[in-house]
Amino acid sequence: MTEILGLYPTWYVPAIGSAWVMGIIGTIHVLASHTSVGAAWLFALLETKSYRENKPELMDYIRRYGVFLLVFSYIIGSITGPGIWYAITVASPRGVGGLIHNFVWVWAAEWVYFTVEVIGVYALVYLIGKIDPKTHLKLTWSFAIASWATLLLIVGILSFMMWPGNESWYETGSTLDAFYNLNFFAHLGLRTAFMFAIAGAVGGILAATMKDPAVRAEITRFLSKMGIAGLFLGVIMWMWYVQTLPPNARLVMETQLPGYIAPTLFAVLVATLIYFAWTAWRPMDLKQGFAIAMTGVIAVFGLWPEERSRESIRKPYVAGQYVYSNQTIARDVPGKQIESNLPLIEAEGVLATHPFVPDRLRTLDDGNRIEAGEVLAKVMCANCHSMENDGLRPLVKKFHGADDPRMIQAYLDGALFHGTVDYMPRMPLPEPEREALALYLAGLSGGGTPVAASETHDTVALQTREQGDK
Amino acid sequence: MDIGSTLQVLRDPAGIPSHPLVFQVLMVFTWIFHILFVNIALGAATMALLGFRRRVDPHWQRLSIAMTKVAKVSVSLLVVLGVAPLLFTQVIYDPQWYTSNVLSAGWAIAFIFTLIIGYSSWFVFYFRNKEGAGSGVFWFGALGLGMFLLDGFIMHALSYQALLPDQWMEWYAPNGEVDMSGSAIHAWQTARGLFFLAMSATVFGAFLLAYGDYFAVREDRPADYLAFARRLGGRIGGIGAGTAFVLLILWLAGVPGELGMWTHPITLLLAIYLAVIAFGLWRHRQGNPGGGYLMMMLATGMAALVAIFREALRVAYMRPFGYDALDYKVMADYPSTALFFLTLLGVGGLVGGFYLLTLYRAGRTDGVYQADATVARLGSSAVGILVVWVAVFFLTGLWVWLGNV
Repeated sequence: MTEILGLYPTWYVPAIGSAWVMGIIGTIHVLASHTSVGAAWLFALLETKSYRENKPELMDYIRRYGVFLLVFSYIIGSITGPGIWYAITVASPRGVGGLIHNFVWVWAAEWVYFTVEVIGVYALVYLIGKIDPKTHLKLTWSFAIASWATLLLIVGILSFMMWPGNESWYETGSTLDAFYNLNFFAHLGLRTAFMFAIAGAVGGILAATMKDPAVRAEITRFLSKMGIAGLFLGVIMWMWYVQTLPPNARLVMETQLPGYIAPTLFAVLVATLIYFAWTAWRPMDLKQGFAIAMTGVIAVFGLWPEERSRESIRKPYVAGQYVYSNQTIARDVPGKQIESNLPLIEAEGVLATHPFVPDRLRTLDDGNRIEAGEVLAKVMCANCHSMENDGLRPLVKKFHGADDPRMIQAYLDGALFHGTVDYMPRMPLPEPEREALALYLAGLSGGGTPVAASETHDTVALQTREQGDK
Repeated sequence: MDIGSTLQVLRDPAGIPSHPLVFQVLMVFTWIFHILFVNIALGAATMALLGFRRRVDPHWQRLSIAMTKVAKVSVSLLVVLGVAPLLFTQVIYDPQWYTSNVLSAGWAIAFIFTLIIGYSSWFVFYFRNKEGAGSGVFWFGALGLGMFLLDGFIMHALSYQALLPDQWMEWYAPNGEVDMSGSAIHAWQTARGLFFLAMSATVFGAFLLAYGDYFAVREDRPADYLAFARRLGGRIGGIGAGTAFVLLILWLAGVPGELGMWTHPITLLLAIYLAVIAFGLWRHRQGNPGGGYLMMMLATGMAALVAIFREALRVAYMRPFGYDALDYKVMADYPSTALFFLTLLGVGGLVGGFYLLTLYRAGRTDGVYQADATVARLGSSAVGILVVWVAVFFLTGLWVWLGNV
């Protein structure tokens, strides 16, 4: 009886790839959710000030920002939260399955906080002036801590996606070893810093509408100080964060990310710092449009490249350095009794063992080779690479427009088969599947024929094996 | 390839950290609250729009504005309460859920954006549905409700497709041609979908009765308005439950007979319960005060029976393929199990309890609510438990982290 690989069907999205769909939803969620958590702390700090210094006028600002959050964070944020699950489910079902099954109780605990948070935000906003101030202050502080707890819990899972950072988890399978990974505290610090900065920027949108000049100036300065503190903390945490990344991630950062990303992020950092310094110095200069524009700049030119980079530097893995982005389990995890898929792929191939391949493509012949190559390409490559001429890391460009199947197969036979490129998966496909894949990929650049590929196949494969033996 | 074997290998190889029965019970239990708020949201949204159309009558206008707010809050809660059953479904039925989603991936993604559009549109309706609002405002609400119904249909289809693994390959590669677009909805069951709409009428009817009782102590809510709401609740709920009974029969007619659901005890129990609750709600059609909370509890009981029926149905659908959620590989993990249950009890109980009790009491108070000793202590305990939780979180984290570094 043929062994079966635990692979799901594939959702193919032309050009941008399913990974970008996930990235776009993720970026929207990060903006909304971090604003929400940062704003929760802002509310707690401001309300304490209001309570201690008897300044009820500050509560009006909290109410306004709270209503804004209901629309901004608790529509967009709370829908895109599960939305990321949906997106990662269809883009990377094995990846999300791995995370769910390692961290289900952590996620369930986060859900408790999430539920409390949603009830809390309504209570906070609608009970201003309807319950006594001391009780409301307790409500606001509990809301702030509960909001932050959602961040505490999700960061452990996100940082595990990067890597556990040590061998413990692979041996024990313990959720604690996975959760409190090497990357965790630095990542938590980074996101905590960001939440203060973004809440400060978004808060300006509401602060600019306050009618009383003294109140407006006081709140704007408060937001500016919070934002500046967030930025400085963020820079420190970023330096620590980079030190906790795996070698493949650092290599991608240094060699593979688009050249504009680092200068863009630096420019956004400086611009945000100037923005906060300016509004601290001259708070009445802050206009609503200015604050909206600043928020937009942070989201589009700061957050999107940052989130995209974080996804990229994790390659070739999607979770815990044991699941590749293409769903393949790439190593044994004794602590969870998980076995690598690679020996089965090497022995039997993908077409024969994938449960969602039509029977007529399981055995290759001249009549189905290109079609099978297309299925292989979309199953094994499309999560990270576009099959079109543009979009997400298009394979046509990665192979420099090569239309000779021999050249492409040489790469599949060598670097990919043996896993010699840090940011690419080791993918030991059997020879006939490499041939079919090369043929299809050559066709993307306008070249390749089954005959030409067959004639050259044996020679290229032999050379590669010899290189491998050496 | 053999479908039963495929379902087994699609399970996550990491296994699950507690016995599958724990997840199955939690999945069913948490879904009850999710579906209750789905029902209330759909009922309230429909009533808000209907009331808007009839707003020359002050009762309808008041009801429309109130139900607009109810729908707004209910959608928030149905989203957050939907996370838990979604999570637990992925734990023990991951092969079914993930495959169904990927096969209709475009719709799964569309669900997110249509829900955002619908909910945003509903907020516009909420902000504008005041006295003297222009008639065009109606369409914002209609768009919102339309999107909610579309999203309900998408969820229904994804759930139903998950029950039909013998058809997956035909959907993914019709006639052997692979289609990775995820652009189609492949299967739905009309009676099953409509059943949940009738259930919405039932639950919402009970909700209106409870609404009438809750505000009976407030002087700013006229008694004749509350009686009006109760009358509506009794009628809508009674008709809804009766319709749900009929639709249950039609739903069962679409379920393969060999699964034995006609004679399943939960089916019989649910059918009897629907008949009883239909009678109970209809008795309130005159709008007399009292009994609203009881009817809401009975409606919650109905949702619990529907949740169990739904799971029994899934078990029956999976049995021919040899799939039993209860034989999922267990890799016990006690610390994370403790994390959840202690958080649920401590944070859910104290912090959630503090919020809900404060909201309840403030809502029944004219003017400013002054916390009594119970609420004051609960508030302090809520902050205290959170501080303790964070401290334990960091101390445990440092201990593990330093050990591994």
